[in-house]
Amino acid sequence: MTFIIPVGPQHPSLKEPEFFRFEVKGEEVVDVDIRLGYAHRGIEEALARRNYQHGVYLAERICGICNVVHSTTYCQTVEQLAGVDPPERAKYIRAIIMELERIHSHMLWLGVAAHQMGFDTLFMLAWRDREHVLDLRELISGGRIHSATNTVGGVRRDIKQEQIPKIIERLRIVEGRARAYVDLWKSDRTIMARCSNVGVLRKDDALKFSAVGPVARASGVNADVRRDDTYGAYGDLSFSIPVERAGDVWARGMVRLMEIIESVGIIRQALERMPSGPVRHPFDLKIPPNEAVERTEAPRGELLYYARSNGTEMPERVRIRTPTYGTFASLRPMFCGATIAEIPVVLWSIDPCFGCNDRVTLVNSDTGEVRVVTLGELGRRRK
Amino acid sequence: MKAEEVTRLLGENAREVRVVNERCLFARTDPEKLHAMLRELRSNGVTHISAITGVDTGENIEVIYHFDCRPAELNLKISLLKSDPRIWTITEIYPGAVFYERDLMEMLGVKVEGHPNPKRLFLPDDWPEGEYPLRREWREKRT
Repeated sequence: MTFIIPVGPQHPSLKEPEFFRFEVKGEEVVDVDIRLGYAHRGIEEALARRNYQHGVYLAERICGICNVVHSTTYCQTVEQLAGVDPPERAKYIRAIIMELERIHSHMLWLGVAAHQMGFDTLFMLAWRDREHVLDLRELISGGRIHSATNTVGGVRRDIKQEQIPKIIERLRIVEGRARAYVDLWKSDRTIMARCSNVGVLRKDDALKFSAVGPVARASGVNADVRRDDTYGAYGDLSFSIPVERAGDVWARGMVRLMEIIESVGIIRQALERMPSGPVRHPFDLKIPPNEAVERTEAPRGELLYYARSNGTEMPERVRIRTPTYGTFASLRPMFCGATIAEIPVVLWSIDPCFGCNDRVTLVNSDTGEVRVVTLGELGRRRK
Repeated sequence: MKAEEVTRLLGENAREVRVVNERCLFARTDPEKLHAMLRELRSNGVTHISAITGVDTGENIEVIYHFDCRPAELNLKISLLKSDPRIWTITEIYPGAVFYERDLMEMLGVKVEGHPNPKRLFLPDDWPEGEYPLRREWREKRT
């Protein structure tokens, strides 16, 4: 006899509302169904009612954490529709910021994964080290999370020569920390006990259900859009794709940690090879009828945008397939056979996407004094 | 497969083939030829379906299946009559399409026959029957 355990929409391990219906037999999960839409904002339709320039701001608000990869994919799609090629320097700047995004997204994942398995010290350490990356994002773009860097035809801000040594120095720290996490991930007994042979997705199931990103790579599928369907500056940069075979929660973590080290290498190369020149080409908002598809490798996997233009300043249709949506079909083989206690850590191992930004740093421009204000204080200040 | 190889594989069943570059192509086929074509793709190592897009073009609902042929992205279109948009599920060939077809059903009102779990995915439980938010008439009504 089986029982149904409803999990969500308010879920203890997720900050986003989703509903999971777990069917259990004793302690064992035998089936799972999912109900989405609690945060559905109708963005595909909203994009079709705004001009291409306004669409950039909306696209980068689809996801807090992955905002640059969303705006980059949107801009690349619109650029392809219009037949505009952004300047080379802009492509490098996009790659640098996207890789910083990947690093801080994976570090956020590591922190919450550690918290899920009751290893709160690692949670604190991972989030402390993530601050280095957020500081770099702030240095380059002015925003810790939202960078508002992209625009159709290029980027809005250049990376200055005097910023490069600061970036290199912080990358050195981040790489050292990432290597320490890799060692820890390989040796710690708590991590092994909570992650090994848990939530296994076999390679044939990953292929069958079209899994994407670190989830697919942890199951032995050697696929990465940056290499397979190269875009922007990635064709000029060399990097390897970490692939694991075990397909469990441990492997998904390992792939992400190794990707942090690869991303540091990509940013270093991009900073060295970045050509000089303009960062933005002029762009005519009226685009003749056309259609385009662009794919990128977001921190969580393949992100796809399809757009169709109709001769006006607004698109006829924009379709977005986010990586987490692409992973949901693989949930059933991942959960079946797991126990109820393993649900949170398995769910978190696919890194379902959420954005959070609950504090503001105020900098006094005369004295350089920095002060952190909480969201509560900010609310009181408004009144 | 690169775009040229995919074009050769699709053969005469594909119409309006437009190769954007070696990593991207668009093609059109008839709904009755779709499944045989997908079986052919699947048996030639194309395992990954990236997404399914539905577009209301006025008289028709255009359904675009996006496949990753590594490296080429194949965007295969079919047109369905808007008065009765019906298509047999592709989940028997590509199980990864299970959510994309549910999305297509509720957002554009395409009847995907034979789908293993044709329930609502995104829209609320009390959303009225026969209202499809990505159709043109719904947009005109709202604006």
